[in-house]
Amino acid sequence: MKVTLNWLKEFLDLGNRGINPAEIASMLTMSGTEVKKIEYTGEKFKNIVVGKIIDFKQHPNADKLSVCQVDSGTGLLNIVCGANNFSKNDKVALALEGAVTSQGLKIGKSKLRGEISEGMMCSEYELGFSDESEGIMILSSSCTVGQGFAESLGIDDVVFELEITPNRPDCLNVAGIAREISVLADIPLKERDYDAEERLNNDKDYEIEIKDYTLCPRYCAKIFKDIPKIESPEWLKNRLIMCDYRPIDLIVDITNYVMHEVGQPLHAFDADLLYSNKIIIRTAKSGEKIRSIDDSIRNLKEDMLVIADEKKPVAIAGVMGGKDTEINTSTKNVLLESANFYGPSIMRTSSALGLRSEASNRFEKKLDPGLTLIAIKRFEELLSEITGTKFAGTIYDNYKKTARTRTIGLRLDKVKSVLGTEIEAAQISRILSGLGIKTKIKSAEFAENIKSDIIAAEIPSFRFEDLEREIDLIEEIARIYGFEKFVSAPPAALLRGGKYSFFQKTLRQLRQLLCDSGFYEVINYSFTGAQWLQKVKTASEDQYSSAVKIINPINEEFEYLRTSPLPLMVKNAVNNINHDVRNIRIFEITKVYKRLEDKKLPEEKTVLGVLISGKSWLKSWNENEKAFDFFDLKGVLELLYSRFYGSTPAFEISGREFKFFHPAVSAEIIAGKTAAGIIGKIHPLIIEDLDILQDIFYMELDLEVFIKNSGRQLKFKPIPQFPAIVIDIAIVVDKDAKNSEIVNEIEKSGTSLLKEVKLFDIYVGRQVEEGKKSIAYSLTFRDDLRTLKDTEVDIIVKRIVQNLGRKFGAKLRQ
Amino acid sequence: MNITDSSEIIKKLAEEKEKFSRDIKEVSSSEDVYKLKVRYIGAKSFIISTLGSVGSLPAQIRPVVGRETNIVKKEIEAVLEQKEKYFKSLQFDLDLRKEKIDISLPGRKMPAGKKHIISAVIEEIEDIFIGMGFEIAEGPEVETDYYNFEALNTPADHPARSLHDTFFISEDTLLRTHTSPVQIRYMEKNKPPIYIIVPGKVYRKDYDISHTPMFTQIEGLVVDKTINFGNLKWMLEKFVHEIFGKERKVRFRPHYFPFTEPSAEVDVSCDICAGSGCRTCGGSGWLEILGAGMVDPNLYRYVNYDPEEVNGFAFGMGIERICMLKYGINDIRLFYENDLRFIDQF
Ligand SMILES: [Zn+2]
Repeated sequence: MKVTLNWLKEFLDLGNRGINPAEIASMLTMSGTEVKKIEYTGEKFKNIVVGKIIDFKQHPNADKLSVCQVDSGTGLLNIVCGANNFSKNDKVALALEGAVTSQGLKIGKSKLRGEISEGMMCSEYELGFSDESEGIMILSSSCTVGQGFAESLGIDDVVFELEITPNRPDCLNVAGIAREISVLADIPLKERDYDAEERLNNDKDYEIEIKDYTLCPRYCAKIFKDIPKIESPEWLKNRLIMCDYRPIDLIVDITNYVMHEVGQPLHAFDADLLYSNKIIIRTAKSGEKIRSIDDSIRNLKEDMLVIADEKKPVAIAGVMGGKDTEINTSTKNVLLESANFYGPSIMRTSSALGLRSEASNRFEKKLDPGLTLIAIKRFEELLSEITGTKFAGTIYDNYKKTARTRTIGLRLDKVKSVLGTEIEAAQISRILSGLGIKTKIKSAEFAENIKSDIIAAEIPSFRFEDLEREIDLIEEIARIYGFEKFVSAPPAALLRGGKYSFFQKTLRQLRQLLCDSGFYEVINYSFTGAQWLQKVKTASEDQYSSAVKIINPINEEFEYLRTSPLPLMVKNAVNNINHDVRNIRIFEITKVYKRLEDKKLPEEKTVLGVLISGKSWLKSWNENEKAFDFFDLKGVLELLYSRFYGSTPAFEISGREFKFFHPAVSAEIIAGKTAAGIIGKIHPLIIEDLDILQDIFYMELDLEVFIKNSGRQLKFKPIPQFPAIVIDIAIVVDKDAKNSEIVNEIEKSGTSLLKEVKLFDIYVGRQVEEGKKSIAYSLTFRDDLRTLKDTEVDIIVKRIVQNLGRKFGAKLRQ
Repeated sequence: MNITDSSEIIKKLAEEKEKFSRDIKEVSSSEDVYKLKVRYIGAKSFIISTLGSVGSLPAQIRPVVGRETNIVKKEIEAVLEQKEKYFKSLQFDLDLRKEKIDISLPGRKMPAGKKHIISAVIEEIEDIFIGMGFEIAEGPEVETDYYNFEALNTPADHPARSLHDTFFISEDTLLRTHTSPVQIRYMEKNKPPIYIIVPGKVYRKDYDISHTPMFTQIEGLVVDKTINFGNLKWMLEKFVHEIFGKERKVRFRPHYFPFTEPSAEVDVSCDICAGSGCRTCGGSGWLEILGAGMVDPNLYRYVNYDPEEVNGFAFGMGIERICMLKYGINDIRLFYENDLRFIDQF
């Protein structure tokens, strides 16, 4: 919201006091009304004054130029001008030496084709009023020669752009901001003197019927007859423009002006377009429609409050008026509405219709019904002043009054316990009364059970909605007193040990380990869409049928919560490859979400996704390149298990097909008996479809399972004292024989002396029979208590080979 | 030879030794050394043949000749050995110099990855608060209306709801719009003293250069017997100084949040213009980084605390914003595009 300094000054009794806009802005900001911007609207018209053309003649050396004599108020100036849209005695915007045009041109004395020019007569373009203009700007003849140009137009002002928090509807207007400044800067407020409240008048010209006083506690209205047809005066238009309103016509402009000034939205009906002299405030009937002022048909629902005549709705209460009864060029008689509506109802209606207006924005924050009369009177005052007409008749006022005042007890020791700083009772009283809150200090004896002095604070109607409790008053005191005055101090009880949970700690180590192993962490949105899921063939996997769906997504690519990191990580890979970053090691730690049939909230699980693609080693001057393969990724898995579970592998992987993986390179990770994740190579058809030329390998670990079961039992093992015997064996087995099974068999036959089995070669080719492979292991034997003899090891190896022969048909390779 | 007097031999030995001393000065290579070796202590040399014939000498001079010859032999040997070592090391050094490499060639790349900047900053912030005695609490991202709004003093008709553009899962479940629901969930399960921070993803329906539909917050909550606004100031000042540097000023500006009272927005002085006003700070000299306030006593009712017995404060911040200010990132969407050229920068 914007307010101007001159407008504020109408409410502040400054006496001889000056006022510094920057200081005011800082006070407002530091009390909760943030000033986003200060604009000095007169600044850009500095050194531009109202001038009067006394005489002019043709330039002796240029056909298209004139030489003018212009009265600047302090003397006659010689001005060379290229326009010809002026005559003698016209008043103009005269830029003197030192002025700057809106295009940044600095004005100074100069010589144009031999004639001295001591300034410039400005066009609207040069003044920044329009994007282009022909000729210079001719001012109204009522302007005073020599007066500042901005001042003469009423735009020599300071505009404050404010952010008003939603709890302060009383500040959504000039008067409310003036009240804040008054208490902050200790400037008295000028009292506006309107008559005391009036009740519904008795003459029955009009009838106002309120169906539900909860939804509409008060409805005031007044008929203004035979309003003269005149345009809004410049000062009114300019003020509205400065505060971001578009001037429309006199009536609408004054309603906006009053709303902006006192905070009460007004609505003007063309009285002659209403069906009869009865206004009904009711909820909409089923199927009712209204054409709103913005010229669209609005379907009304039965909980929406409308203003209706006896035939149809003529306005959506508090949100927008109807087109059919709108003020127009032939309007003569106006019915002015100044009403109070129930905030939450207005909020529901405006959000259901997707229609927000300055009025609804104010109503939904709950307004003081006391404003309705003030606003209507202010409207009448302005209308009379501007048109020079007195309007007969009284105000119709239908009001079901409810109590709108309360007394709150404020304990001084509570103030201290919340704020940490003691504030004197007199100071508190001063602050509160500046905010319009009457106070009475009562000593501790006032009430039983209360140890400290208390202040009885009487809340006025205009703060009835937001000041309900002691804490609300403490906040008011704190923000006016100044947050900067509260002393920073450590909490009295601060002597604690902070810590990470086991899960948090492990997660951090995991992230660090992956980074140190060359992986980059990505973070994706939690959203994904059906189209992409289908593209990476994950849509048909079971998990996606239980995806959580968002009712109102940003678009269909953000419609589901992810059930796996895979789809978006593949997208990350593709995007990077398309940016020529082709060698990719990435991981993501994220939650995945799964709808549960019997639960309100979905299951949320933390998982790890790891993806590699491209080259693991780049070709360089001393190195051959190497492409990533499945075993690079399996190595990561082994690293994780060995780091977090100890040296022996605590997992196995067993082949299981997933639609998105290559059918032969697709597996489930099993830890103990629990499924802990998946690992595989993205299906070549997906790769082809994604239009990239390199394989992608992906692995996923359920971190809830992985971390819960992790943890190494660390115990010292003596360093081996006796030498080991290492025997290499190469056997020929069927091509399909599984390494894990062979190793299993070797370990079983190897006795406790066999300490390690290491695969070191696999060979398929001419030197072994068709359908077979040679596979070579290095076996390490050791006894911790003595030196082994070769002969005993030979016996064990012989047995191993025998057993392998029996089980796998293995033959020792010669 | 029939020698009975040793003096002849001794004299000859002295001559040999002297000759050798002269010759050795002339050597300039291992080959020269070898030649001298052959000449003076080779099989046909005077010294070796003398030693070979010691047995045939008369018994009375045998020991003298034997001893003296051996002394000279050892002396010569020692000098030769020293010379030989010297020339060998000279040669070795020359050979090493031939193994020249271009040390300006690039090193072999060790694979090195990086944390996402959001994670790195979360970890940094967590560490600061852990150091002040906090623990880290977590909560669900899909929330009920109750925890996200109602128990945080924001009932259905509250105007503050219009500030949040919420993603809905059903009529009363939604994607949390802030990490604040964890305040309620944590207080329900724990009694004061409470010192927690809550990092996590939050969601609002907004998508442009300064908004992403998902972003990251860190929430803080402290509830204890005697906690006041001065304590809140102290803690957040400490935090800002840790993360942005000691020289930065901190400003607490009154604001409104439904679940704290009094509420504040916390600004840090702009480092680009040092407070004098620039484009980054919108001319104010301050950058807003945190929302905070004293816990509204109403919240204690939802979790069965006695508002007369405890006080507390809460604060919250957007991690993306902190990263953007700290590293001068101008488009929030970059955080979630996962362009490795972005991630690699931090
Ligand atoms: Zn700045």
